[in-house]
Amino acid sequence: MAGGHAHDAHDDHGDGPEVLSVSDKNPRVRTIQVKRPTPAESSYLAATAKGLGVTLKHFVKNTFSRRKNTYIETIEYPEQKFEYPERFRGLHRLMHRDDGAVRCVACMCCPTVCPAHCITIVPAQTDDNGIEKYPATFEIDELRCVVCGLCVEACPCDAIRMDTGIHAKPVEERHEAIMTKDLLLELGARSTAVQGGEGADWRGKK
Amino acid sequence: MTLTIDGRQITVPKGTNVLEAARALGIDISAFCYHPGLSIAACCRQCLVSVEKNPKLQPSCQQTAGEGMVVHTTDPQSTHARKQMLEFTLVNHPIDCPICDKAGECTLQKLYFEHDNADSRVDVPKIEKPKVVDLGPHVVLDAERCILCTRCIRVCDEVAGVHELEMSQRGSHQELGTAPGARLENPYSLNTVDVCPVGALTSKDFRFTMRAWELEATPSVCNGCATGCNTEIHHKNDRVWRLVPRHNPDVNKYWMCDEGRFTYHGLRDDRLAVPTIEGLPATWDRALARAAEQLKAALKSPAQVAVVLSAQHSNEENFALAKLAAAWKVTNVFVSASAPAPGRADAILRDADVDPNARGVQAIAGAAVKPFAELEAGINTGAIRAVVALGDALALGDAAQGRLHELDALIVLAWREVGAARAATVALPIAAWAERGGTITNRAGVVQRQHAAVLPPGQAVAGWEALVRLAQATGASLSKTAWSHPREVHKDMVAAVPAFAGSQWGREARPIQLRFANSRG
Repeated sequence: MAGGHAHDAHDDHGDGPEVLSVSDKNPRVRTIQVKRPTPAESSYLAATAKGLGVTLKHFVKNTFSRRKNTYIETIEYPEQKFEYPERFRGLHRLMHRDDGAVRCVACMCCPTVCPAHCITIVPAQTDDNGIEKYPATFEIDELRCVVCGLCVEACPCDAIRMDTGIHAKPVEERHEAIMTKDLLLELGARSTAVQGGEGADWRGKK
Repeated sequence: MTLTIDGRQITVPKGTNVLEAARALGIDISAFCYHPGLSIAACCRQCLVSVEKNPKLQPSCQQTAGEGMVVHTTDPQSTHARKQMLEFTLVNHPIDCPICDKAGECTLQKLYFEHDNADSRVDVPKIEKPKVVDLGPHVVLDAERCILCTRCIRVCDEVAGVHELEMSQRGSHQELGTAPGARLENPYSLNTVDVCPVGALTSKDFRFTMRAWELEATPSVCNGCATGCNTEIHHKNDRVWRLVPRHNPDVNKYWMCDEGRFTYHGLRDDRLAVPTIEGLPATWDRALARAAEQLKAALKSPAQVAVVLSAQHSNEENFALAKLAAAWKVTNVFVSASAPAPGRADAILRDADVDPNARGVQAIAGAAVKPFAELEAGINTGAIRAVVALGDALALGDAAQGRLHELDALIVLAWREVGAARAATVALPIAAWAERGGTITNRAGVVQRQHAAVLPPGQAVAGWEALVRLAQATGASLSKTAWSHPREVHKDMVAAVPAFAGSQWGREARPIQLRFANSRG
């Protein structure tokens, strides 16, 4: 309640609209002064002139600036390629265990946290009694993916990574944008994370 | 008994324990081994509280409330004791939540976040115990995860009445198991999975199929037999993943049988998703037109038409069909029922009658029902030329079954394309029990409500709605007010049938996401 109150008080001050009256039933319902544009403003003459000015400014700069240190932002693709920032994520990949099997244990943390619902996992049981569970299918719809990286954050066993730096390829059919488990594993590599954590004697190792 | 817990007074009946009294006040004292439906073991020590004038902390599950007792649950001494007990429980518990099926509904997980939420201070290796132990036909044990609360042992002893589980060894080597060569195979074995506060016991049926936190729960009633155990349908993306019991002190308490839990599998098998004419898919309009044409010809003499109600369908569906029979002036009303399974019956929950609604149909159709043998005889002699049946199960003899094709009309409203629905001249797809709202009457006459959890497949509609469409097509009227909701069918039924006097339709249950429902078990 204290938080809500402070928020209300903040609203009253700030740059918000002028409050004419406040409802006695609900303090959040208010009558405010609405600012209408003046006839001069609604004619848009001044704004149009200002906009043309911007265009003219860029025209002059592009035409008369030195060629070497060009002002033009376009690059000559495909001869020249745009350099992605260092932390660009790119396509997902699935990491391997020492024996080459998928590290994923199908805990479903990534599809749970995924805001775009782009990960589909069908879990199944393995004969390995230590791990018991593996993903029978693991599919990521790269068209839906918003590249947020939450799946990587959620993964408890370094199974999924988004560090390939490969831009999602353009596709002609939607289904081609779905990365299957095989494709994801192809991009993957052996993870150096210790399987099952560092173990009970982790203090001695430090 | 009036006692004070954390400064608040509460009056409880004599014999109530302090833990229940606190829960009545909204104070949730942590506990593993205590279960309201089982005897008290007080072996987990997770519910320790301070009782004034008592030198030692008391387990609140075992401490009976006394007059004038003053209990503290938030004082430093008991809070610290519970926190330490939790740490003690966690000493040998593998933190394999990502692959544990209980994660998301685990009491240990919940209490860890509530109490401790700190890193482990244990740097000796955990004790290794057997994993993936095949305890019985439906249950798998992971002995490392077991926190030795003995709830499962008590469920077998006190609910199923068989002592199939027992602890062996002592101390931290203590281990759950069956007697050598014996298996956990009583018909109530999956209740052990429900009561397990951790993921030590998991259901083979549900294991690794879906995470608990992804599921949504809709209250319902088991359709497996006449007992009518209250259940929760756990579903996701319009698919049912499991059934679990829901507490009802008058019917099933906290339990249900294994067979009942598996009834959801039928929801995906052999479904009738579109109307069919002579076994071929058709639109509703064409199917209804064909049905009306056949029925109008047959109804010129109503004596040659039979209407078959079903003990497997809801009261509303049966009431609508009974009304339709009356509107058609058909007096040949029969009830199709499954063959009883006497071997199934016990004095606990399971009943020999595997139809969920035999009493409800009896109440609706009452004295008008003719013995089923007459239908069989009528079909065999050709006296009955048209049959309108609810449900796919027509328990006819071979002779009559073979003559079904000779009928002028066999209109079947069913949710599965088996039995009579395959022989039908017109089959209309209706919603199954988990897909529609309705009431069923159990063996004790308790009218219970089933809620729609998932959408019916394809073009299937609720049974009452299919009957309204059929009535319109044949020019019959079912009600003075046009039904647009099962609530209205129920209202008319309560007014018309004395056995349902006082029955309320109640509110529509919105599914609860288990993610926000804390732990179960």
